Amino acid sequence: MDRSFLSDKDVIAASRNFVCIRLATYENAEENRVLSGIFAPGGNLQNTVFALLAPNGTTPLVRAGRSPVWAFGGVRGPGINAQPAESIKRMAETMQSIALRYPGKGPGATGALPYLADLRLALNVAAADRQPLVVVYAPDRAQRRRMERELSKVVWSEPLVGQAQYVAAHTAGEFKAVRGFETRSGFIVIQPGIFGLSGQVIHAIDADSKAPELRDMLAGALGRHVPSQLTYNQHRQAGVRAGARWQSRTPNTDRGGPRRGGPRGRRRRPRR
Amino acid sequence: MAKLGMRRHDAAAHRAHRVLRVVGGLLALGWWSTGQAAGPPRQTPNAKIAWHGTWTGGLAAAQRMGKPIMLVSAAPQCHSVPGVW
Repeated sequence: MDRSFLSDKDVIAASRNFVCIRLATYENAEENRVLSGIFAPGGNLQNTVFALLAPNGTTPLVRAGRSPVWAFGGVRGPGINAQPAESIKRMAETMQSIALRYPGKGPGATGALPYLADLRLALNVAAADRQPLVVVYAPDRAQRRRMERELSKVVWSEPLVGQAQYVAAHTAGEFKAVRGFETRSGFIVIQPGIFGLSGQVIHAIDADSKAPELRDMLAGALGRHVPSQLTYNQHRQAGVRAGARWQSRTPNTDRGGPRRGGPRGRRRRPRR
Repeated sequence: MAKLGMRRHDAAAHRAHRVLRVVGGLLALGWWSTGQAAGPPRQTPNAKIAWHGTWTGGLAAAQRMGKPIMLVSAAPQCHSVPGVW
């Protein structure tokens, strides 16, 4: 992920007028198909994809590519985390201009929760983002709906917006990689392990909490998350030493990516 | 006579005071609404992009709200080591 574009304050401010979707490549066949329709040179879905799209989800508004560099210029390969200021500025200004063309139909809050697909993937994504994970857990569907209604009132505004990853769970079995989980419905705040293969419960918030107290309790619990401080290379080396491995659900079709069962190539950061 | 003059003076002062209050109120309302509608939203120091995690959920939100989409995708692993983009 190209940090310098997506962590810029003006880009983040502009993103509040967009619906931001961040997918995990090679984890869902249907999403792979969507991504391939947006950017897949030679028909090969790449490890990373970036696009700005109209609300219909199909009309590109800038040149799609592997990263914002393809649309706004900048550094590819080594050095991607130190993009030129003018490229980042161009991205923020382009987004602001697009937002004026699509002002939206209502207030900023979306109502819908920004869920990830499942707890296994959510732990990994939260670790990769160095953020806590909030699991909306209730075996009873009606109770889960009530919890989601309350959470949706606070998740898109300060101090919670953008500060955690979210996923729903309806069976205790989904928590097998999570330590400290007690089988009780609630909003379960988790510190993901460094490699996102496990997690530790930071706090469990009562399932019947109403929006204002839920916001305050979540904010407090999220503040107890301790993000990894490893650099990219330190993380990768530690992962190799620890034998931490991830198996994508669908084959990696990026020719620059690792080949399953093939010869071990030179280890370098994937191209963006 | 002097009393009548004083009463007229009081009434005029009262009217002027009311006008000032209304104008002041309108100015304050204008300032408040401008502050609400214009400019980028205030951010916390560690502001981050808020991501939808699935295509179906995000697309439904975009279509419902008529907002453009910023789409990013990446494998949450590097050379099979997870927990990193």
